Amino acid sequence: MVETFTPAVCGSRSRQRIAIALFALAALVASAAVGATLGFVGSLVGTRPALIAAAALSFLAALREAGILRLPIPQSRRQVPERWQYERQLTLWSAGYGAGLGLGFLTFQPVATFWVACAVALALGNPAAAAACFALYGAGRAFMAVWPRHREPSGPAAVERLVGRASFVSRANAVVLGLAVVLLALAPAAGAAVTSLGRGFDPAADGQTFARARMDSGTVKVLVVPPAPDPTDTVSPADAPALDGSYLAYEDDEGIKVIDWRNDSPVRELDGPYSHPALDYPLLAYIRDGGAHERLVLADISKPSLDERNIASVHSAADLGRPALRGHRLAWHRIASGGSSINVLDLATNNRRVIKQTDVWMEANPSVTSRRIVWVEHRPRGSSLRMKRFGHKRTKTLMHVSGRKTLLWTTALTGRTAYVTKWTPSTRKAVVLRVNF
Amino acid sequence: MRRPDALFDGAARALSTRLASGMTRRSFLGRMGGAVLAATGGAAVAAAVRPEKSEAFHFCGHIWTTGSCLNPLGLPRIDKNGFPLRPSDGHPIDNLGRAVNSEGWAVDGSGHRLRSPDGDFLPRAPRTRLCEDWTNEHYKIGGVMQGAWYRCCNGQVRKLVDCCSHSNKRINGDASLTGYCFDGRRVFCVLYYDSGLKC
Repeated sequence: MVETFTPAVCGSRSRQRIAIALFALAALVASAAVGATLGFVGSLVGTRPALIAAAALSFLAALREAGILRLPIPQSRRQVPERWQYERQLTLWSAGYGAGLGLGFLTFQPVATFWVACAVALALGNPAAAAACFALYGAGRAFMAVWPRHREPSGPAAVERLVGRASFVSRANAVVLGLAVVLLALAPAAGAAVTSLGRGFDPAADGQTFARARMDSGTVKVLVVPPAPDPTDTVSPADAPALDGSYLAYEDDEGIKVIDWRNDSPVRELDGPYSHPALDYPLLAYIRDGGAHERLVLADISKPSLDERNIASVHSAADLGRPALRGHRLAWHRIASGGSSINVLDLATNNRRVIKQTDVWMEANPSVTSRRIVWVEHRPRGSSLRMKRFGHKRTKTLMHVSGRKTLLWTTALTGRTAYVTKWTPSTRKAVVLRVNF
Repeated sequence: MRRPDALFDGAARALSTRLASGMTRRSFLGRMGGAVLAATGGAAVAAAVRPEKSEAFHFCGHIWTTGSCLNPLGLPRIDKNGFPLRPSDGHPIDNLGRAVNSEGWAVDGSGHRLRSPDGDFLPRAPRTRLCEDWTNEHYKIGGVMQGAWYRCCNGQVRKLVDCCSHSNKRINGDASLTGYCFDGRRVFCVLYYDSGLKC
């Protein structure tokens, strides 16, 4: 390639350097743009399907490179347009060559690795990260344009020596692709697949049924989404849903209502300063605002007297948030100016535990199952969705959002699926994310 | 003969002037300096402390290498009690870096309380002291604010404060020095307080 920039006895060293620089820059930018595009598309698709596709593709590619499988790969059997050298300015065609090769899919593909890299960029689901990784492809293209000249006085001779090692390159490529299969297969276990479920906040979940609140034209409503083919049920006005099977608890202007969402029949009403219900029928946990104090109350709604039990109490300047109730565990947060904590009460043994306590950060909005707890940790640099298994010491981060403009907020948990609200305070726009781990 | 109160006033002014113009870092002067300067109302400071372009390693007035104490927004600006302030304008902030009102509720640029997606007011986030609480949370070293020195920054007197502990390492990770700390403590990290007194 470098001989193209400055054919023999035609062109100075500075011309060559300019052309190489433009070629390299264009290749880097084009590759990064491909990566960014794929990363953006991947963020819409969802990590888990993309990871599975990338692992499968990598496996097939490894077999192809090892010579075990004959697989055609998509490619454009074209070279850079030679006529550009005669019709265009050096700055244009050298950059054009770089961009064309940097895009990757406009020229020959001797190995399948490029397409595996595309699948991985999709799986990354992060435009910036995918752009940074893909830029390396452009750097490689730029390097190969320059390298032969530095190795030997004759560039073509250097390339021919490289071609002579093609079988070694194929075998090495097969090994690398095999390693990629292993890493991609492990990735879902190591991280979490995040999918956006659309506008809404305050998620609730039980098995395959999912509920969330949503603001429409100034009114908050609750949408209950059962598995297909059952239709979505909408309750309005309603906020802060809690699900347990066919039971739905929510708050409205009058207090808390518990209904059978399948037929909208009422089960129980609590009128008064009650909010933030959590439901594990017949147990209902909620916050009672007593003016000077806020209390977390646990009640049995199958009993006429409710058999209320005060679980926690804070001064009104502090916050007990949105409790969670599942699998004989009740979880809540306690946030005050002096610190915050995530607390769990085991209803079977009456043991209380502090899962996380801090004088500095804000730990908030837990959700529980019988085996795990998730919550959101807020720090100045961002917010993280944390997960801990009961009986284990380690806390895992399922996802992280950087900065203060967009935050993670309320959560839900069922099995190995967590839901979390992601919202922007300045616009109050919120979406619910599903996080498989 | 001068009246006793006049003698005292003159001695206080002379002391404050000497303190303000002194360039040595002595721990007992660090302890005394703030009280004396406050008592003389800053007039002596204005006369004695020449506005200087203090070479700052990472903020004005800080000419040593000790790193900032942990803080929400990148610079360790505090109020007189050690709670975090927004570096740009001194507005009180919580530990998450959000501007807060006098009651500690997070507010927007217009002073309205922030609300959650469903319209409820956001809860107050923790707001704790950068030296005593933040360093203890992260490093378990029992930090306390001790020695201080003063510089003229942006036309006003800045008080730079050492957060001191018994740790042999400072926040940078390397060996700590005594600095303005006392009672066996050493400098762990630094913070600053802008007094608003003109200089």
